[in-house]
Amino acid sequence: MPSFLLRRLIHGVFVVWGVVTAVFFLVRLTGDPSAFLVDQSATREEIAHTRHLLGLDRPLYQQYAAFLLAAPRGDFGTSIRDKRPAMGLVLEHLWPATVELALAAALLSTVLAVPLGIISATHKDRAADHVSRIASLLLQSMPGFWLGLLLILLFAVELRGFLPAFGSGTWRHLVLPAVALAAAPLAQNARLVRAGMLEVLQQDYVRTARAKGVPERGILYRHAFKNAAIPFITVSGLSLGFMLSGAIIIETVFAWPGLGRLIVQAVPGRDFPVIQAGVFVFALIFVALNLVVDLLYAAVDPRVRLG
Amino acid sequence: MAKRTARRWVWAVVLALAVGTSEAQTVDGVAVDADAELVVAVPDDTNNMDPRIGMGSTRSNYIRQVFESLVDVDAQGKPVPGLALSWKPVNDLTWEFTLRRGVTFHNGEAFNADTVLFNLDRMFRKNLDKWGVKDVTAGTSFEKVYPAVTRWEKVGDYTVRIYSSEPVPNLWDVVGREPLVPREYAIKNGVEALNERPVGTGPWKMVAWKRNDSMRFERYEGYWGSPPLFKRLRFQVIPEAGGRLAALRAGQVGLVDAVPPLDAGVLGREPGIKVMSSAQKLYCRIYLNARPKDKFDSGGKDGLFTDPRVRLAFNLAVNKEGIVQKIFHGYAQANASPVATVSYGYAAQEPYAYDPKRARALLAEAGWKDAGPDGVLKRDGETLTLQLLFPAKHYGQGFDETTPAVAEMLKAVGVQVVIKPVDYGTLIQTVTKGTLPYNGGFTACRTSNNLDADDYLRDWTAITLINWAPYPADLVELYRATRREVDPQKRLKLMADLQRRVRDWAPVVSLYQEAKIFAASTRVLRFAPLMDLHMDFRGVALRK
Amino acid sequence: MTRRRDKGAAVASLIVLAAVTAAAILAPMLSPAEPLRNDLLERLTPPMWNAGGSAAHPLGTDTLGRDVLSRLLYGARVSLVVGFVTVIISGAAGVALGVLGGFYGGWLDDVLMRAGDVQLAFPVLLLGVALLSVLGPGLVNLVLVLVVSGWITYARIVRGETLSLKHREFVEAARALGALDGRLIWRHLLPNVWAPIAVVATFSVARTIIAEASLSFLGLGVPAPTPSWGAMLDEGRNYITTGWWLALFPGTAILLVVLVINLIGDWLRDALDPRVERGI
Repeated sequence: MPSFLLRRLIHGVFVVWGVVTAVFFLVRLTGDPSAFLVDQSATREEIAHTRHLLGLDRPLYQQYAAFLLAAPRGDFGTSIRDKRPAMGLVLEHLWPATVELALAAALLSTVLAVPLGIISATHKDRAADHVSRIASLLLQSMPGFWLGLLLILLFAVELRGFLPAFGSGTWRHLVLPAVALAAAPLAQNARLVRAGMLEVLQQDYVRTARAKGVPERGILYRHAFKNAAIPFITVSGLSLGFMLSGAIIIETVFAWPGLGRLIVQAVPGRDFPVIQAGVFVFALIFVALNLVVDLLYAAVDPRVRLG
Repeated sequence: MAKRTARRWVWAVVLALAVGTSEAQTVDGVAVDADAELVVAVPDDTNNMDPRIGMGSTRSNYIRQVFESLVDVDAQGKPVPGLALSWKPVNDLTWEFTLRRGVTFHNGEAFNADTVLFNLDRMFRKNLDKWGVKDVTAGTSFEKVYPAVTRWEKVGDYTVRIYSSEPVPNLWDVVGREPLVPREYAIKNGVEALNERPVGTGPWKMVAWKRNDSMRFERYEGYWGSPPLFKRLRFQVIPEAGGRLAALRAGQVGLVDAVPPLDAGVLGREPGIKVMSSAQKLYCRIYLNARPKDKFDSGGKDGLFTDPRVRLAFNLAVNKEGIVQKIFHGYAQANASPVATVSYGYAAQEPYAYDPKRARALLAEAGWKDAGPDGVLKRDGETLTLQLLFPAKHYGQGFDETTPAVAEMLKAVGVQVVIKPVDYGTLIQTVTKGTLPYNGGFTACRTSNNLDADDYLRDWTAITLINWAPYPADLVELYRATRREVDPQKRLKLMADLQRRVRDWAPVVSLYQEAKIFAASTRVLRFAPLMDLHMDFRGVALRK
Repeated sequence: MTRRRDKGAAVASLIVLAAVTAAAILAPMLSPAEPLRNDLLERLTPPMWNAGGSAAHPLGTDTLGRDVLSRLLYGARVSLVVGFVTVIISGAAGVALGVLGGFYGGWLDDVLMRAGDVQLAFPVLLLGVALLSVLGPGLVNLVLVLVVSGWITYARIVRGETLSLKHREFVEAARALGALDGRLIWRHLLPNVWAPIAVVATFSVARTIIAEASLSFLGLGVPAPTPSWGAMLDEGRNYITTGWWLALFPGTAILLVVLVINLIGDWLRDALDPRVERGI
């Protein structure tokens, strides 16, 4: 187990490094922000001067080396736009805003998926199953932001502010964005739970247990669910990761002051330090989640540990 | 005995009444809530609070709640005394500002001539080592744009004189509109403190700043002028216009900035909401590449649009009134002068008529006569193509809708327009590096922090990122004359003359000048939009 | 019994998809007006069954007076082309790389898997935003971005299958007999791999269409003035109350196309019964 953990950790570090390096060079390909910082009537010399002050006229490898030296200390530079430490800015937006949203949506999409999936599986081919199937297909076929816009239209405009349409602050502000973000994954997860349950319910050992007279509920929870848990764990873990990604659009629609929006705004503004810090945090979270999922996997399925 | 008791009773009643009524404030006969908070929905957060770092239209709004400048602006856009009581030229090379007394910063520091001298040092980047201040990279470098301004000194505690080597007739505007920061506070805490914990003389103190979310202000009780009649202000960032309006309708905000024109009509009919608008300085144009080949990364070709007849033709081909009415529903205006209508020194010019026939005639005069089978004009085998870079989503819906509409109008006179949406950063890169194609152009909007027309007329002098049609020698001369002329009347006349000539020379295709539209709950009393970049809440009250 | 009902749904979906494709191909003939022609006088006319609408513009006009129905039909071209072309290219690339990695192993495999991991840790939308900021908007660039973010899924599946097949006796026997690698891959590996690939590809088309809409929503999709459903949704969202038809029709179109593709994918998965990881 320890060697497994170690290997996964090293792998994780590598992935994070890879992502950050890729971003580092990618954004510098897009040019630089010096021209943004000066007046419209600035001359080329002034812009060149600004670029020099920002250290962006040094050769790339020099900039990269400086970055690598500073990053482990948590120093990702100063935001070019806001003149504040980039990592501080990123963390401000991550916590509580994006974390709140991602957690709420992840909880909704996984916790609710379980009972919905089980009901679908046990009522296979009956009314409940069909309704759930249609609803699931519809939700998965809708772009997240469209659902968000519809929700805004319904709850905030038509129902005159029953739920707020923008910003953050109270739990009421969290409802609409979390629902919009969670809808498609919830639908998908419910289908997966259903599929996993069905597969397991048909297997021999379940039939044996039934034949032996074990009550249905016992079968469900003790045998079936535990084995259906594996894909479920994978999916839940990845769900949280994808929440971070999908949050970008939802944050834009609902004016949620989160990290996704910060990065998306920083890209056209070429605010390198913020982009780098933000992507680093994203990658770190994603890798950490993957690691947790892998560990859970290993705990549940001993074969994985040896693999 | 009875008489004395009666008198006591009368006094008691009178006192009670006095105390009672003084609790309830009224404005125009309506009871107002002095402790209320006004939430304003704005489309963007500010990047900085330190005015030296930069002041665009968004940032001005935040910065000018906290900081003030020597020259203030009234509702008609005219200059009025701010932190300076008066300003006048002592002689051709000297301006004198008389400062207001009894003004203090939010932290108690006094405002006086020393403050002004410190701010001038920052603006012109002189004497900074004297203060031990390592200053920020500034948005506007005054020393480059106004190199003639040489030194400044105080004459007593409340008078400042500024000296220049050449006459600078608009110095009152140049220096007067810069928001002023406290000297001792900046020296003691460093300039970063000005950005993080700004301290100014303005009617509002910043108490909290949640980036990209909101900024909270509290009224400064020691303010020198007429204060806002409510205690707390919050700017709430809601990027989507629909979101802002939904928030207003739901009662979550009291005032909305940047209402789209189409919604203005609908909102105006709703009970409990009123719509207000005023002209503003945001002036949107198409900039055409008219630079000679040595002034940009040209590959040996001059800009395709160097002939003023071609540019004039483009101006005649665009239906500006149509844009104003159809896209902006009247919340904009066409303007044939290069200067915004609200600026000091604006002289109205003969509007560009919407005349596609005359446009074609002009193009033919310039050699673009033969139309190919697709209707596109040609000259010596070359087609009249315009590669139009356009920063989508940077300026707002109206801008995004105008560009394709204008492209269509140009097509109707035989110009092949290739629209290239780019993000704003890429556009800035392109025009900075000079890599705009020879047949290129871009749509962009120009605004101004200053009140004087010089800010707009200066655009086509030095080669900067928005100057793609440099003044010919005669216009350079005329411009220089406006910069040298000290007599205000004569200067106005010179500027009017320059505007007329620039109108005919048509360096750009002027599209529209946008009006600002606000929507507010009827609870908000006495709010009037300014013809400047920021919102002014002095004297504004909230009904109970 | 389930199979038959599913099949019915799948067949209906195929018919719908075929109809949409036909409409897209025949767009020039079916459109009442030119999709790019704007006319400020006809701004924001509602659909013809509403007051103020006209038969000349059955589904109304947008903020620049362009006919919505025409833009919808031409937009179908963009969505379908982006969806299918992306999947074909990323599928081909992913399968090729996955087979090579699985079959030959070694450093090639390592590099591919690491690259894939790094890419997965990169929020997809962010990759899109960053790359499109570098490359600029455009149909080709958009497809490129979507291909780059999509190939890894196919590569993983194929690699897994290749690995498990590689060690089967018939492969080893064939190799021992001197069979060419290429022939082996073509004759024996690929046929075993196409089933899960087909399922994943089908769902990918749906996801790509949604991704295009999302990128357009952020202003990065196919650039104006080319009509695309995502861009139409983006333009329409500012007019939800006053011009509801601008967002409703493209939104419904996306929903419909994605829905039928998902149904086809569902049926394919049940029919082919591949051992696809359910997490895809």
